[in-house]
Amino acid sequence: MKKSNGAATVEPEYVQRFGLQFRVQHIILFLGTLGLIFTGIPLWCLGRPEYGWTQSVVRFFGPIATIRHIHRAFGVSLVLISIYHLLYTILTRQGRREFLELLPKPKDVADVMKNSLYFLGLSKERPRFRRYSYCEKFDYWAVYWGCVIIISTGLAQWFPEATGRYAPWLTYELAAEIHADEAILATLALFVWHFYNVHFNPSRFPGTLLWWHGRMSREEMLREHPLEYEKLMSARE
Amino acid sequence: MKNGLVLTAFLCLLVFCYCAAAADTVPKLLGDESDGSMAHPIHRIPLLAEEGDEIGPDDDPLLPFSTKQTCGGVCHSYDVIATGWHFNATDANVPPGRPGEPWILTDGRSGTQIPISHRAWPGTFTPRQAGLSDRLFLKIFGRHLPGGGAGELDPEKPEDIMRSFVSGKLQINCLSCHDGDPGHNQAEYDAQVKRENFRWAAAATTSFATVTGSAKDMPDTYDPMMPEPLNDPKKVPPGITYRANTFGDKKTVLLNILRESPSNRCYFCHSNMYLTDEHTEKWTGDEDIHMTAGLTCVDCHRNGIDHGIVRGYEGEADTSANPLAATSSCRGCHLPGAGDEVPVAGRLGAPVPEHEDLPPVHLEKLSCTACHSGPWPGDETILVKTSRAHRLGTIGVNKSHEALPHIVTPVYATGDDGKIAPHKLIWPSYWASLTDQGITPVAFETVTSVVGAALADVERPVSGDWPALTIDNIVTGLKVVAGSVEGKPLYVSAGNLYSFDDSGDLSQEDDHPAAKPYLWSIAHNVRPAAQSLGARRCEDCHSPGAPFFFGKIAVDTPVENRAGSFVEMNQMHEASGPTHVAVNKFFKYMIITVMTLLILHIMGDLFRRFMTKMSAK
Repeated sequence: MKKSNGAATVEPEYVQRFGLQFRVQHIILFLGTLGLIFTGIPLWCLGRPEYGWTQSVVRFFGPIATIRHIHRAFGVSLVLISIYHLLYTILTRQGRREFLELLPKPKDVADVMKNSLYFLGLSKERPRFRRYSYCEKFDYWAVYWGCVIIISTGLAQWFPEATGRYAPWLTYELAAEIHADEAILATLALFVWHFYNVHFNPSRFPGTLLWWHGRMSREEMLREHPLEYEKLMSARE
Repeated sequence: MKNGLVLTAFLCLLVFCYCAAAADTVPKLLGDESDGSMAHPIHRIPLLAEEGDEIGPDDDPLLPFSTKQTCGGVCHSYDVIATGWHFNATDANVPPGRPGEPWILTDGRSGTQIPISHRAWPGTFTPRQAGLSDRLFLKIFGRHLPGGGAGELDPEKPEDIMRSFVSGKLQINCLSCHDGDPGHNQAEYDAQVKRENFRWAAAATTSFATVTGSAKDMPDTYDPMMPEPLNDPKKVPPGITYRANTFGDKKTVLLNILRESPSNRCYFCHSNMYLTDEHTEKWTGDEDIHMTAGLTCVDCHRNGIDHGIVRGYEGEADTSANPLAATSSCRGCHLPGAGDEVPVAGRLGAPVPEHEDLPPVHLEKLSCTACHSGPWPGDETILVKTSRAHRLGTIGVNKSHEALPHIVTPVYATGDDGKIAPHKLIWPSYWASLTDQGITPVAFETVTSVVGAALADVERPVSGDWPALTIDNIVTGLKVVAGSVEGKPLYVSAGNLYSFDDSGDLSQEDDHPAAKPYLWSIAHNVRPAAQSLGARRCEDCHSPGAPFFFGKIAVDTPVENRAGSFVEMNQMHEASGPTHVAVNKFFKYMIITVMTLLILHIMGDLFRRFMTKMSAK
């Protein structure tokens, strides 16, 4: 790249895409989520004795009371990281900036349309994304929605006495079903959609350590977030 | 002088008060009050006939003994006993209490099963509303009546007055509960009722009397006290013979009377047969835990001379005069009273439940029976037969599992007290008419004759199950009903109401109030803590598909196109089940929709990468 006066600028090999705050929050979130999924399996199986295999799974995992306690401990970690992220978003400059970047905008709708046409071969160019593509925004807001649902329904089951006393009839049963449904959706979305986008798609296979060091290569930035890259470069200038 | 007047007035007041008190007090008879002995009193007593005459072995004609005279008379206050729960259904002044098991009027051919009761239980019809005269009611249901009440009503129809004189009345049959004789045969009561031998029915159940003949075959002018020979040899007048040596000195007879009724006596009218795959036969199932522990029915269902027996539900004390009503319920026995007066064990040593880890809200929203009573719930309700509905214990009973009426259980429904309890349930099916008085069933005899004839060609299963009524059959039935009764003809079944609209076409209203199912609470068999709902885990109830919330209640009906339909259990709970279903469906569809879109996106991405690579080559 050349400056307007003709002098060449040294383009960085890597771009620091995510700061330490963001990465730590992400690591705590995914560790907690993986723990919840792992310990949630026997709890899901426990309530479905009509399928013969489920009880074998329950037995495989061991004492259900212990599993339930561990599940709740991971649940607490999810609650805490959610609260922390909320405070981070409100109270820090970086948090507010990231939040604003993650807000859905009309361009995202246009990008979805454009990408769909690209997939179908009706357009030769991919949409050019900013800091966050619509896929990443979907990931972020899916987690937001998921946390609200999962935490509220989890608490309803954790404290059945209060649920039975203060919430409408069948809230507990609804909470149990919604909790399980949302967990299944989150698990599928995580392992199928999110893992494909960040690890398993052909340009990244077999995976990336972006979540660990937060750095993205210049080539990848140009491919995945060209508008963000240009913005960064112009800011450097 | 003045003092004398005051003294006289005072004495007069005393005499007046004494007389008033004496007039208000029913004198107690010999057997009305215990002397404190716990031994059973021996009943070596004379048998008295209807008019109070002593019966002797050489009497001609030999008459049946009257319980009213023999047991009542000078020993027990018959009129006081007649106020008891088993005998007071026809007394409109008696509070109906919690809805109980109705009599079920059934006719398979016409697609009829109607819950009826003399008591004002919502959802039932009185016998009169169903077109049953008192006499017809007795002829159909007298088999399992303990006498008294409906059995002793004065007939209203002129023709019934004469028949009543021939057949007699069904007096309170003390022996049906208190006869400890192993030879007592309550099934014989049914046989005598069928022959309209009401006067002879109680005596026929004893081991020392044999009743022959049939009052039903006798002319209206037949006088049992002075029988005259009949011309028709096939018609045998009702008569009784007493076993030799029945009468001892002074014409006394030894009756094996027990103060506390043996459970076996109760079972004749209060048996249940749960038609599960595993436990149809009695020997394959387990007994009520109370019975296993050595209790008998009357240990909980107690009464005094007024026979105001404790039914045993919470809240009964509000309407019952029985002083033990409050302390003979589940809580009454198992939970310490106010001030922890029973600290370690309840009545009769009943264990006080710990309910460890059970959120107390369960005790507020559920009856004790919800977890501890009835058959263990499965994915679907099961059919149950009861003594009174299916004539269990009588001769010639249809043993088919599909025999009508169809009662399903356990149905977890919210009761009048706001608590969920297990119930038995029937779906009424009946032909009715809509008039200014509302919807009333067509008289039973009209239904069986008119509708029964119109639907004679409809095939009836040998099992006694419903015939399969098509829409055309319902149209046919409605047409013949229209010609027989005033008002708009209707057919009610499976929650629906069928009628002709203004253009004469058949219309159907779903979930009509007149077609609501009738439910009554169950409390037996009682399961111990280790076999209660939730004993294994919370998921017994709180899991997807758990019978308590999501069990299927069979919608029972002869209407062919509704056969096999179900209602989910939570529809019987106080709150709205449909909301639950809607929210549940939303999340299920959301999973499918979102994941479909995401996978399509991935496939689109892969496809495009592949195509780009191919074109680059």
